[in-house]
Amino acid sequence: MLVATPASAQKFFTLEKDSIPVFRGFALSFDLVGAGMAMFSDYGQYEGTLRLNLHDEWFPLVEIGLGRADAEDEVTKNRYTTKAPYFKVGVDKNLLKEKHGPYRLLVGLRYAYTSYKANIIRPGLVDPYWQYEAIYDVKDAPCKMHWAEVAVGLDAKIWGPLHLGWSVRYKLRIAHKEEGDFGKVWYVPGFGVNSNGRIDATFNATIDI
Amino acid sequence: MRKVLILLSVAFIVSCSSVDCPVKNWVRSYYAVYDSDGTTLDLHDTLTIYTERMDGSDTILLNKGIGIETFDLPVSYTLPEDTLYFHFFNLDYDVTDTVWIQKENYPHFESLECKATYFHKVTGLRYTTHAIDSLVLKNPYVNYEDQTTNFFIYPDSDR
Repeated sequence: MLVATPASAQKFFTLEKDSIPVFRGFALSFDLVGAGMAMFSDYGQYEGTLRLNLHDEWFPLVEIGLGRADAEDEVTKNRYTTKAPYFKVGVDKNLLKEKHGPYRLLVGLRYAYTSYKANIIRPGLVDPYWQYEAIYDVKDAPCKMHWAEVAVGLDAKIWGPLHLGWSVRYKLRIAHKEEGDFGKVWYVPGFGVNSNGRIDATFNATIDI
Repeated sequence: MRKVLILLSVAFIVSCSSVDCPVKNWVRSYYAVYDSDGTTLDLHDTLTIYTERMDGSDTILLNKGIGIETFDLPVSYTLPEDTLYFHFFNLDYDVTDTVWIQKENYPHFESLECKATYFHKVTGLRYTTHAIDSLVLKNPYVNYEDQTTNFFIYPDSDR
């Protein structure tokens, strides 16, 4: 059975024909925003990306990161800690007409997954009626999460193989599973502070290899 | 390119977080008073319910309830069994029943900004029958839910 494909969609998915070879090498990038947050705030992630360059148009990629949180609320005294790796696979597409120039306007999709353990404690919690100190301790509660990301980003060649660029990502939760009856999680490695959807930004330093 | 940069900057700035603590965030067990026919009943006697703190002193959980059809009581955070004293009194008599509620306790977490609390599952129920005819567990889950009744209490109709 033949399926008619709109010409614009066909054009979107095919590589431009010119004298530049299809395989243009690999690039390694590192997110500086997440790393800064991981070092200087309650939560963040160290994230690296290995990207394949196909004709400066399509960039299949794999992202691997390590997310961590160690946060305590000053008012409620709740403390939440977790640390775990996460993985993403996806692809970016360069939307600029001048594909082989020093700039790229990238849009992309990613699927992401993490398996992690949540720890929640609230020291010194006193029962208001019975007047004793209750032990509030959720220890190593196993959790898993799948989510999708839509990314829009800019990338500029700075010098030699070095690129710098921003990306903004909308993260949408697909599924989350927490074992045990402890309620909700606060931070998910790679996803960020938990909600159904959130927007994050990255600032990437990239080296062509 | 400049327009795209401005759009991305705005999107980053407006991506803010919010605190989503439940508005109703207290955990109570809910009781309804019934007569032997199974219809709701205004409590004719004055009912005071108290329990014993860990230091041995008493604390009142319901103070001199009268003419009430329903009431609610706190649940201890982590004790495996709550012991409650139901003190019924009027001009003719003054009696106390003891109620023992066995339960499992689960720490419940909403967010860092929300107060820590416990949910419970009632697993057993015992009571004396001086003024209480029977006490029935209707819903074993004690949590933020305030629209269901956990216990049906049937006072002794001979009194």
